[in-house]
Amino acid sequence: MLGFLGPNGAGKTTTMRMILDIIRPDRGQIRVFGMPPGPEHQTRTGYLPEDRGLYRDVPALDTLAYFGALRGLSLSAARQKAKELLIEVGLGDSLTKKAGELSRGMHQKAQLIATIINSPDLLIVDEPFQGLDPVNATMLKNLLIEQRDRGAAVVMSTHDMEDAQLLCDRILLIDQGRRVLYGKVDDVRRAFSDGAVEVVGKQLPTDTDRLHAASHAVAYDGSVRYLLRDGATAQELFRELGDTDAQVEKFAVEAPNLAEIFVRAVAGDERAKAVA
Amino acid sequence: MSSSFLRLVLLVAQRDYLRTVRRRGFIIATLLLPVGMAAIMAISGFAAQSGTGSNDQPIVVVNESSVVLQANPAITPDIVLLARSDADAQLASGAIKGFYLVPAGWPATPTVAHIEAPTSRTRLLDIAGGGQAEVDLLLRVAQLHAAGLPDSALGTLLTPITYQSQTPDGKPISDTELAAGFLLPYVFALIFVLGIFITSGYLLQSVNEEKESRVVEIVLSSIPALPLMAGKIVGLGMAGLTQIVIWLLTVVIGLPLLNAQLSVNISIPPVALALTVVLYAVGYLTYGALFAAIGALATGSREGQQLSSIVVLPAIIPVVLVSFFLRDPNSPIVWLLTLLPLTAPGAILEVVAISPSPPWLMVGLSLLSQVIVAAIAIFLSGRIFRATVLLYGVRPSLGRIIAALTGRA
Repeated sequence: MLGFLGPNGAGKTTTMRMILDIIRPDRGQIRVFGMPPGPEHQTRTGYLPEDRGLYRDVPALDTLAYFGALRGLSLSAARQKAKELLIEVGLGDSLTKKAGELSRGMHQKAQLIATIINSPDLLIVDEPFQGLDPVNATMLKNLLIEQRDRGAAVVMSTHDMEDAQLLCDRILLIDQGRRVLYGKVDDVRRAFSDGAVEVVGKQLPTDTDRLHAASHAVAYDGSVRYLLRDGATAQELFRELGDTDAQVEKFAVEAPNLAEIFVRAVAGDERAKAVA
Repeated sequence: MSSSFLRLVLLVAQRDYLRTVRRRGFIIATLLLPVGMAAIMAISGFAAQSGTGSNDQPIVVVNESSVVLQANPAITPDIVLLARSDADAQLASGAIKGFYLVPAGWPATPTVAHIEAPTSRTRLLDIAGGGQAEVDLLLRVAQLHAAGLPDSALGTLLTPITYQSQTPDGKPISDTELAAGFLLPYVFALIFVLGIFITSGYLLQSVNEEKESRVVEIVLSSIPALPLMAGKIVGLGMAGLTQIVIWLLTVVIGLPLLNAQLSVNISIPPVALALTVVLYAVGYLTYGALFAAIGALATGSREGQQLSSIVVLPAIIPVVLVSFFLRDPNSPIVWLLTLLPLTAPGAILEVVAISPSPPWLMVGLSLLSQVIVAAIAIFLSGRIFRATVLLYGVRPSLGRIIAALTGRA
């Protein structure tokens, strides 16, 4: 699952529309499934746009069957699949309800079903959990995870960095139409780490003269925060601590969360270049 | 054209067709003509039964003048002359609804009163049904008699004169044919223009609805813009055609009944009916493509309707200029109107309706012109549709529209 991040106006929606061949790029190239995007890919993709809706005066089941048929299923197969998915997300009682009669949460569930009804190989979702309560958001997250686990590539645009950190394997951050950083979530966080290690335990040394790997050590509430010297690694520090009387209960390389990285990268932090 | 393109066009067309024909507004609009025609027949039937008052409602005349009035069964069969007291009694009992009172000073005083029952106003029906004309005849015959005109001269004078239209070679042209010659072009062109208005309304509604409800982006991620637009044009065009066919069938079924009721003989040639359907379908393609583009361009349904009226205006030109068609369906202006993109559909329908047999050369050239224009309109509208349909609430700039038309957007 790829987290597609960027500030407002960065070009995320435009990029997604280009991937889906809804609009064409002025210049540059896009390749989807190894080829330029085209109508032949539309049966292999699923898209949940940020601005989305359903036909208000039509039963949700009929609309979903229509969308499934547009994506290559037969009308009867699409109808059957839509029915199964609606029941799976708890909308079994609302099969014949018109979309205008559904609550916001029900609406979004139905919309996500429209996106996955054809079991796409590539799923592009734009702010999928926006405006949802925690229960419904969790349900939709699980649906996306299911899609990822069955082998679909999921591209998720979101402004919620917690969601991105929790769900995504990789992130791509763009700004003003250009890539700012890209990589595995852990790699990106490591790149933005300021070299700090948090250690919890007993008899932890704070005298850095005894430790070659750390330049500073600050004790705080049962833990010590060590700042690594230039060129030193956390592994070296761990080894040195082992040579002392210290009893280490927790050893964690401190890394900023994605929200902090987002702000720094967009502000032009040089470390972004390492993972751009 | 690939099979998947056709499949998508048919899917969209099927959905939009079924959704439209199930709408209450569509059903009401479709039934308007049959119901209207039934109403005309009912009214004319009622008028035929009650208008003249020929049998059950005599035309009662009270003569207080010194001129002798005599009802003649041959000339004034419905007139009954009564004394004033008898007429008053019958009026009071409800046996009659009113009577004509010829005053004592008549003919020097030329006003004849119509005495109405307190709850009834029947003179209008008398005028429509010819009852008043019969009274008029009674009084004039009495005057001629009083002037001493002999019965033989009176008979000659009252013999109706018949008029007959003929072709230069002496072939008679019936009055019905003459009336139909004026009526049919109007009816045909109006049905067409009405069909255009209504069907274009469905198209605009459909595109606007998908745009405003934000469904269009999901749809466009599933299907390219061109088959989506083509499917809408076909589906809603079929809905419009359904309406036209129902209306034409109503005319075909209703005309013999109307002919029998009104004792006339109006008919529409089958070839004109068939051509109407074909010409409507081809003409609609151009308008349909334009309306789909307008729906994509417009920021909302109201603006869509305003923009569409600009395009619909040319469709009305042939209706406005019908006198040119009646005078000479082969004139240069008629030729021009049958070939110009937006006037051609209505104009060629009028020509077909006016001409005793279809002018096949003109029909063929007009169809060819319309097919070419429709193809260009669909192509260019497809580009505009694709470039502008995702602009929610934003009016595209002229530069963007030009860029879309030239394939740069």
